[in-house]
Amino acid sequence: MTQEMWEIKRLHLKPELVWSMAMSSLRLRMGRTLLTLLTVAACCAFLLFLLTAPISDDPADRQMWGLMITLSLIVSAAGVLNTMLMSVTQRYREIGTIKCLGALDSFVLISVLVESAMLGLAGAILGIFAGLLLSVVIGSISVGLGVFTAAYWSGVFWKIGAAALVGLCLTTFGAALPAYIAAKMPPVEAMRGEK
Amino acid sequence: MSHSAQTTDAATNPADYWGADLSQQVDCTVMARGVKMVYRMGSESIQALAGVDADIFTGEYISIMGPSGSGKTTFFNVVGGLIKPSEGSVYIDEIDIAQLDAGELAWLRCRKIGYIFQSYNIVKAMTALENVTLPMLFAGVPPDEAQDRAVDILKRVGLGERLLHTPKELSGGQQQRVAIARAFANQPAIILADEPTANLDLRTGEEIIALMKEMNTERGVTVICSTHDHKMLDISDRIMWMQDGRVKKLARREDVEITISKMKEEGH
Repeated sequence: MTQEMWEIKRLHLKPELVWSMAMSSLRLRMGRTLLTLLTVAACCAFLLFLLTAPISDDPADRQMWGLMITLSLIVSAAGVLNTMLMSVTQRYREIGTIKCLGALDSFVLISVLVESAMLGLAGAILGIFAGLLLSVVIGSISVGLGVFTAAYWSGVFWKIGAAALVGLCLTTFGAALPAYIAAKMPPVEAMRGEK
Repeated sequence: MSHSAQTTDAATNPADYWGADLSQQVDCTVMARGVKMVYRMGSESIQALAGVDADIFTGEYISIMGPSGSGKTTFFNVVGGLIKPSEGSVYIDEIDIAQLDAGELAWLRCRKIGYIFQSYNIVKAMTALENVTLPMLFAGVPPDEAQDRAVDILKRVGLGERLLHTPKELSGGQQQRVAIARAFANQPAIILADEPTANLDLRTGEEIIALMKEMNTERGVTVICSTHDHKMLDISDRIMWMQDGRVKKLARREDVEITISKMKEEGH
């Protein structure tokens, strides 16, 4: 059976199967999917804007900005984590059902992670565009045509990378723990979890 | 009364029991031996099963009856490979499920067992077709073949016109038909149905019962069904009564005809 188990693991983790499971889950919960997407996008946009926007050299000002960044990140992170937590706990029953149909724990875990990573990535991409736009518009007010100089955009790729990573991590980490708990749960209990 | 005691004894010897001669071996799909289940709730422990022995024959339709708290559901979950018993062994097609690890149990659930639930449990995010295809994909059937087979079986249960409907667009009876199709999809050894008609109106319930019986005869799949529904008993081959975590009685339907009508009179 061990040989066969490997074969089954390979089957379950087929990208198409994981992908279609993740996609259909996102589609079903479209309303929440969009809401989470927007929250992640807003979070990334704000972060990217703050990273690229010209900030005065006054230390008091810089401290103020730093505080704002931290606070806003905490608030949006809490929001996204909470949504992800809810979206996993709400489908304990469904997870129990697919485990009854023979899904492996790893399939459950990975399909939820793929789903949340997709959500995070989509939100991050949207947020990056919004953040850059915001940066150009607001930046042009203070430095005028300066926003089109190379100096203004120094290290922008790193900043975009950081924003994308934050968006991805928010949703994936938010979903990881509840997904792990749900995947390990015996199917009967998972199905009793939520009526 | 003496008659029922006799049938219980006879049940431990399947060949005798069926009235077949002893040379003709009856195959057992499920064999439970001394199955005990103890739940711990804080400092208290509750014994849900107090030593169940049962043989369930290949291809038969067996109904399990018993009041709530009789251990019916626990027995069900043990046979279904959903939980492991605290003691004793359960063999499904000669595989001792107590010896399996989590991954192997998933394999067993996928290949050997089909579940039908009281509340249908159709995956909401998926169409009827996808729901029936899913267990076959888990079992490693190539996607195209899985889809063809799913279409066939959905046509068989009368949903040929509703392949692409989601659960929201299906009535309770139709959802239960999807569940039946899904349960039979991998040609399992056993179908476990937990009060499949409890959420349905009388007529739909009857249709579902008839469908399950047809599929049972057609495909020779063993059906184990827990129920409160007397109509369900009429189509069973055997009926098992549980009480206090034990098998109180196990008898062929013909032999309990009188008991059933008496139960009906008493308004049970």
